[in-house]
Amino acid sequence: MSALKSAFKIEHRAALGDKKSSSFMGVSLEVLPEGHVLHALSRSADGGLSGAIRTALGISEIAVRFVSPGQWFIVGDAALSAAELGAMTQKLGALGIDTVDQSHGRVRIGLSGEKATRALNKGTAADLSLAAFPVGHATTTLIGHIGAHVTRTGEQSFELMVLRGFAESLWDELCEMCAEFA
Amino acid sequence: MTSYRLPKGGLVDRKTPLSFTFDGKRMIGLEGDSVASALLANGQLLMGRSFKYHRPRGVLTAGSAEPNALMTIGEGGRTEPNTRAPMQELYQGLVARSQNRWPSLDFDIGSLNSLLSPFLGAGFYYKTFMWPAAFWEKLYEPFIRRAAGLGKASYETDPDHYEKCWAHCDLLVVGSGATGLAAALTAGRAGARVILVDEHARIGGGLLAETALIGGVAAPDFVASALAELASLPNVELLSRTTAFGWYDGNVFGAVERVQKHVRAPLPNVPVERLWRIVAKQALLATGAEERPLTFGGNDIPGVMMAGAMRSYLNTYGVAPGKSVAIFTTNDSGYALARDLEKAGVALAAIIDSRAEGAAPGVYSGTARVITGAYVSDAHGGKALASISVFKGGKTETLSVDALAMSGGFNPIIHLACQRGERPTWSDENGAFIVPDQRKGLTLAGSVATTNGLAACLEAGAAKAAALLGDLGFAAQASSFGTVEGDIVPAAAKPVWSIPGIKGKAFIDYQNDVHRKDIGLAVREGYGHVELAKRYTTNGMATDQGKLSNVNAIGLLAEARGISPGAVGTTTFRPFYTPVSFGALAGTSHGKHFQPVRQSPLHNWAKKNGAQFVETGLWYRSSWFPRAGEKTWRESVDREVKNIRINAGLCDVSMLGKIEITGTDAAEFINRVYSNAFLKLPVGKARYGLMLREDGFIYDDGTTSRLEENRFFMTTTTAYAAGVMNHLEFCTQALWPELDVRLASVTDQWAQMAIAGPKSRLILQTIVDEDISNDAFPFLGAKEVSLFGGQLQGRLFRISFSGELAYELAVPAGYGESVADALMEAGKEHGICAYGVEALGVLRIEKGHVTHNEINGTVVPGDLGFGKMVSAAKADFVGKHMLSREGLNDPNRAQLVGVAPLDPATTFRSGSHILEKGAAATLENDQGYISSSCYSPHVGSTIGLALVKRGASRHGEEVLVWNGIRNEYTPARLCDPVFFDPANEKLKV
Amino acid sequence: MASLISCPHCGSRPKEEFTVKGAALARPEADADEATWFDHVYLRDNPRGLYDEYWHHTSGCRRWLVVTRDTATHDIAAVRDAADKKEAAQ
Repeated sequence: MSALKSAFKIEHRAALGDKKSSSFMGVSLEVLPEGHVLHALSRSADGGLSGAIRTALGISEIAVRFVSPGQWFIVGDAALSAAELGAMTQKLGALGIDTVDQSHGRVRIGLSGEKATRALNKGTAADLSLAAFPVGHATTTLIGHIGAHVTRTGEQSFELMVLRGFAESLWDELCEMCAEFA
Repeated sequence: MTSYRLPKGGLVDRKTPLSFTFDGKRMIGLEGDSVASALLANGQLLMGRSFKYHRPRGVLTAGSAEPNALMTIGEGGRTEPNTRAPMQELYQGLVARSQNRWPSLDFDIGSLNSLLSPFLGAGFYYKTFMWPAAFWEKLYEPFIRRAAGLGKASYETDPDHYEKCWAHCDLLVVGSGATGLAAALTAGRAGARVILVDEHARIGGGLLAETALIGGVAAPDFVASALAELASLPNVELLSRTTAFGWYDGNVFGAVERVQKHVRAPLPNVPVERLWRIVAKQALLATGAEERPLTFGGNDIPGVMMAGAMRSYLNTYGVAPGKSVAIFTTNDSGYALARDLEKAGVALAAIIDSRAEGAAPGVYSGTARVITGAYVSDAHGGKALASISVFKGGKTETLSVDALAMSGGFNPIIHLACQRGERPTWSDENGAFIVPDQRKGLTLAGSVATTNGLAACLEAGAAKAAALLGDLGFAAQASSFGTVEGDIVPAAAKPVWSIPGIKGKAFIDYQNDVHRKDIGLAVREGYGHVELAKRYTTNGMATDQGKLSNVNAIGLLAEARGISPGAVGTTTFRPFYTPVSFGALAGTSHGKHFQPVRQSPLHNWAKKNGAQFVETGLWYRSSWFPRAGEKTWRESVDREVKNIRINAGLCDVSMLGKIEITGTDAAEFINRVYSNAFLKLPVGKARYGLMLREDGFIYDDGTTSRLEENRFFMTTTTAYAAGVMNHLEFCTQALWPELDVRLASVTDQWAQMAIAGPKSRLILQTIVDEDISNDAFPFLGAKEVSLFGGQLQGRLFRISFSGELAYELAVPAGYGESVADALMEAGKEHGICAYGVEALGVLRIEKGHVTHNEINGTVVPGDLGFGKMVSAAKADFVGKHMLSREGLNDPNRAQLVGVAPLDPATTFRSGSHILEKGAAATLENDQGYISSSCYSPHVGSTIGLALVKRGASRHGEEVLVWNGIRNEYTPARLCDPVFFDPANEKLKV
Repeated sequence: MASLISCPHCGSRPKEEFTVKGAALARPEADADEATWFDHVYLRDNPRGLYDEYWHHTSGCRRWLVVTRDTATHDIAAVRDAADKKEAAQ
């Protein structure tokens, strides 16, 4: 083994490493830990497996998020070791679900506060009222010109997930959208 | 004699004076004034000069239909021309300038145009400025350009910002007069999501100029309490200063909110305008009706205004129009003004009523002289009204007045309802163009729906709202508001299009200076159709879009043609109702935010290594990495290319599309989307694939690797990554949903870098734990690898775009920079360099590898020498069936070939065309064109790839490279497109 | 400005979230004759009225949909997931 192999310390570079969580009047933007994002893909466009996924993995409802019929994101704050990922992949495999790791492919941003909906509606045409978008509901939509996965995590809070390549751009857009509440 | 501020009355705050300037002259107004009311209060009747004749003009209305008082407001980058003075709220320090006059508003040289008016009638530009032809460019056009336009735009950068947003509601109410307020209260009280918009700063519409009582309370006070209640309801959004400008598909309404156009120094973190897209389940149009001007001579002299406007200035702004006022009316609403003037102590000289029978009984009980069955035929005065001629029974009487109100009836403001193709119809009963109340998504109520009078409007607004909400499932009660007293209900009156006895110019379109005789001219010259008359005279084509002129023109056309106004019809209604700034339409999408930026996970690595970037779609790709002392990009690129072929290079290829394909039918699926065979691709192997369109032409190319039996990793080109993903999803979902195939876009999950060159294996082996010798990991191997003693998992592919011994290493994106740093560190002693797309381009051209320069939508596999990649055995794949058609198998098709200049010191450019040696440079002699070119350090000259007729069989032929744009000719020779290592020995090392 | 499509999975969204492919025609069998393939690739009806199109909800659920749209009025008569077409035909 080369000296480099053992001596070199691999460093993780967070996509929003240069950005700081910001608070405005009535709305806050939070850089969330990259943690884990697993793309769970079932055989057909059929929705019934989210409950089975939760049970199999022993995780909460909000950790399994709708992407598309038959597809979910499994999300959590902790980065997974290869062994942990392998174990989860196996459990999902038993349900006929294929797993693709997107823990680096997606970046997570928190948006919360009483003005969160108003700020978010500057970018998306989705109806974000509690009636149309209850806690736990998740969807993908355009925020400005950037696609983002949006989950309502609380009455006044959302978690956004965006392609890593667009993370900084989306963060900057969100700051613009919140600026009037400074 | 002139307009002035009354000692009391109005909704202005006499305790808060505001100073402003008009054409440099300092004036004082009050908090609550518009620029128009403040000017009137200062006796400034003259507010502008008309477009063509430069006639002195004053303010005609108190709202957004204003055609005359157009001003430039603000300074520097905030300068905004053509602002309607009644719509601009006054603020401390406001700077206003009149337009279209030189050297000054009072003494405008342009008024000489009125002497030329016999030559400036409608259509004059179709009959003049034609001869001599040479004069057009040198004299006529520059002159016309200087004379054209109203205000001038600023060339300075706009310092303010704008934004756009979406909103959803159960009921959108457009207009906050009696009808709109009644509807909003009804709906708000029922718990529905309500959005109420009004173009004015104050909510209340016509109620703000009303003197009637509602439930015993003065109209403005009724408004105040309605406003307080609406503001307290969390389900109601009040948007004043907001114009609903358009009705669009999906029942979406466009509206623009003037967030900070009423302050001198806008807050920098708040937009000055906000564009709303409102998705309404139901909408109620409560926009009211626009009063029609009357067409008499001199109807444009400052001091002449709409009766309703005069009432607004009186009751809302506390401004009297003059010392001796006359009213010319065709209907009862003129008498409401008469009553209010008398109550305010303003002398009323006469009421001229066109109706022989005059007002309905009980309407007017004042003391002014009423002349029935009479018309004002002319108004007289230059920059201010001095007198009027009253025509009755063939005789004319002159009255000295300094203000004249006119009311020719009312046009319902139906515009939004007509913007999606619906045409209004003429109603003789209402003397107006109207549309039905109901249609899907949009309902009309109040005076826009021909309901007259305050009580009826309140009731209609409440009832309509309750009905609409009922349809949406709400239990809504129509609110009621108490008895209305003191309201004059203006019944519809017969329109008066032509007035007898006119001597002077009688204006129809004030903004474009179209007068009565222009309409007659249009009809005589054969342009009597409403759409033709509009363009011929320019009636209705100015920034006010004919709000005051369209119907009057139609009435005159009807009379001239002897048909009804209904038979003449209206022109087409289109958004926007009033002008919308480009700033609002762009929102935040300009400058740095024009489009999103897509960054590679190796962006920072590239930046710190000194990369020069190039935009590829939304991505920033490193183009070359200049070193100290290198003066041109060619120096850097040549160095990179040479170094890679001797030592090694590292290139960021993260932005190429990456798709993970899993499922028990993954292999079968991939076999159907590529033209070549993939079913039996062994696990641990990569293969180059051609993806065709259904018409047989190549769509994209890429490399697909089999990592597990049912797990594949496909790459695409950068530009087509999104398109390929969409296409694959179409195939799995729409074409073959029976196949078990699952797709995930993983472009962002992996940082991917190419390590190329003779020393690439040596360098890579320092970080890869597994053995990657040639035996252990031959060409086209693909597998997961362990890195840094097990610290990281990656994927290694032995593929080569450069033609050198090369690999691509994919690592989870967050570790990309770190791994790239490690490779640069490990490679230092071996002479590794960073390289970008320029060097990458040279290497691939030297190897005859194609990109989208060649795969340009017009080539099939055989054209590029890929005939063997079209499987004959497969029963079906996308594009197979159209590939067999005659034209795509024609031996004369353009084929891929190499090109090099005869003299290595000469050069040619991509895009140049190929001619046979000695052939004339004509399109008929065109043999093909150069699709890619570069300087090749290996060959020692410019080289190119080209698509040439029968190119594959013309190697060795001398040709002429012809650049028709630059008139350059380069003798050259066609050759094999592979300039470097044609036996591919370096690949398999 | 904002034509809305009611995606069966995501609700009402503006057209900017979608990619339009064109007529929702069934792909011919592999062994269909050349004329059938030519028509499939190049020939299109152009009705004034209802028209079935493939739309991809690219910035949403990424499902392909069949949208029945009136070419004259822009009214959307129906939207279904493209994979449902067999049931819809019955």
